[in-house]
Amino acid sequence: MVTTTGLELLDVTLLSLYVSGMATILGSAVGIPLGALIGLKEFGGKGAIKTITYTLYGFPPVLSGLFVYFLFSRSGPFGDFGILFTPTAMIIAETFLVIPLVTGITITSVVEVDKNIKETVRAMGASSRQSTLTVMREAWVGLLMACMVGFGRVIAEVGAAYLVGGNIDGKTRVLTTAIMLETRMGNFEWAMALGAVLLAVALCVFLFLRLLQEREML
Amino acid sequence: MRLDWKVALALVLVAALIVGAVGYVLLAGEKKVLVLATTTSTYDSGLLDYILPVFEDDFDCEIDVIAVGSGAAMELGKNGDVDMLLVHSPSAETAFVNDGYGEERNAVMYNNFIVVGSASDPADANHSANVTIAFEKIYDNGTVGDCQFLSRGDNSGTHAKELTIWKNLGLNVSNFDDWYVETGLGMGDLLDMCEEEDATTPSYTLSDDATYYQRLSENLIPHVQIVYNYQETDSLLKNQYSVIVLNETRFPHINHTLATEFKDWMISQEGQDLIASYEMYGQQLFYPNAAGYTPSTSSLKSQTSAFGSEERSVAGVSIPVAAGLKVELPLRCDRW
Repeated sequence: MVTTTGLELLDVTLLSLYVSGMATILGSAVGIPLGALIGLKEFGGKGAIKTITYTLYGFPPVLSGLFVYFLFSRSGPFGDFGILFTPTAMIIAETFLVIPLVTGITITSVVEVDKNIKETVRAMGASSRQSTLTVMREAWVGLLMACMVGFGRVIAEVGAAYLVGGNIDGKTRVLTTAIMLETRMGNFEWAMALGAVLLAVALCVFLFLRLLQEREML
Repeated sequence: MRLDWKVALALVLVAALIVGAVGYVLLAGEKKVLVLATTTSTYDSGLLDYILPVFEDDFDCEIDVIAVGSGAAMELGKNGDVDMLLVHSPSAETAFVNDGYGEERNAVMYNNFIVVGSASDPADANHSANVTIAFEKIYDNGTVGDCQFLSRGDNSGTHAKELTIWKNLGLNVSNFDDWYVETGLGMGDLLDMCEEEDATTPSYTLSDDATYYQRLSENLIPHVQIVYNYQETDSLLKNQYSVIVLNETRFPHINHTLATEFKDWMISQEGQDLIASYEMYGQQLFYPNAAGYTPSTSSLKSQTSAFGSEERSVAGVSIPVAAGLKVELPLRCDRW
C-alpha cells in the first residue's frame, strides 16, 4: 500500500544513530571525568551532589527539550546561531540527558574499583595520579556500561527530539519521532515495524559494546 | 600500550560520525528553505505531502514542516522560530496579527467538524436540525445514563469548538456527571477510545473529518459512525484554516520573500485547485476558500465524482506517508 524507498528509512535510521551516538560521546566526555572526580575525590557535600545526580536520572526528556528550545529559540539568548530544528539542537538536548546517567554510573563503578585496589596500589607506592589512572582502567567495564545506558536512553527518547528537532521529513526525523507520527496517524503496523528497526539498531550497537566489555574481561 | 586499540576504535567511531555529519550537511544542499509551522491535521492527513512537492519543484526550494498542536505552532511563530503558519484558530490568529507577530491572515481552506458515535445512536442525534440540537439530545440521554460523551479536554481547537457548543446550550461542562469524560487524548486516540468504549457504553465525540476518515480507512473504528455532519446552513462546524506570514519588521531573519511566494501560491488558482483535488478514502478533505477563488471545472469534477468511483481508491489508499517513506502521488495532470 505504501511505496517505500528504503533509502529514506535508512536516512531516518542513520540520523537516529548519529544523534544518539554524538549525544552519548559528548555526554560521556563530560560525565566520565565528572563521575570520576565525584567518586574519587574527598570533599564536603559529596552526598548531596550524588543525590542530585541520581535524581537527574529521572530528568524528563521533554523538559530538556524545552530548556534547549528556550536557549536556541530566535527570541532566546542563542537564537542567532539558527540551530533550532537541526540535528545539532537535538544532540545538545540529548546530551543533557546522558550526562547524569554517565556521571552516576561512573561514580558507582570507580568507587567499587577504588575500594578493592586502593590499598594495593598505594602499597606499591603509586602517586595519586597513577592510582587514579589505574582505577579508571580497572573500571573500564563499568564506564562502558555507563555509555551503554546513556545511549539506550537517548536512542529511545522522543520528547526532546520532537520539540527541538521538529520531526522534519528528511532533516530531523529520527526513528522515535517517526514511530510517534505513525502512531498518531493510526498506522500502528508501521509504527511497530519502525520499533523493530530501532531495536535491531540498538542490538547491533550493544553487541558491539558488549564485545568490547567481554574482551576486556578475558 | 594496552589501551591503544580501544583508542583507535574510539577514534574510528568519532571519525565515522563526523564524516556522516559532514556528508549529511552537504547532502542537505544549499536550497532555499522555508520553515512552516502547522497543525497535525494538515500534515497527518497527507495534504501537505500532496501539495508541497509541486511548490518545491516550481520554486526550487525546500519546505520544512513542523507539525505540532495549534497552540505550539502559534508559540513558535511568536518566538520567530518559523517563517509562516498554516493554522486553524481564528481568534488566536487575529490576536497574533494584531500583536504585530504576523502580517495578515489569508483564508486558505476549511474542513468540517463532525459528531461521531455509536452505530446504535441511543440519543438519536442522527436526526437533528443542527449540531446544537444533536448535543442537547446527547446531554439528555447522557444524564439518564444511556450514553456518554468523550471530550478531548486538551485545549485543542476541537476541544474549544466542543465547549462553544455546550456554552451555546447554556450548559457548563464542569457541572456534568460521569457521563462526560475528559480524556486529554489526541483526536486519533480519542476515536480509538470511542471504539473500545462502544463495547460497554454507547459513546459520542466531536471530531474533525480528516482524522475520522483516516481512522476509518485503517479499519480501526468500525463501530464509530458519523451521527451529525456539517451542513452549509450550520457554520458552527466549519473549521477555517489560514496562512500567516510572519512580520518581517519584527523578525528580520525570516525568509520573507519565499514565505510570501508560498502564501500567494496557496491562495492562487493553482494552489486552491490542488487542495480541492486532494482526496482520501474517496472523500475530499479540505475545501479551498481563499478570497476570490472560484472552483475550476476540473476540481468541481473531482468533488462530484468523490462518491462510489472506482479509481478514487487509487488516490485513496496510498496516503499513509511519513517515517521518511515516500508515497507515490497520484498523477496530477488530470486537473488541467
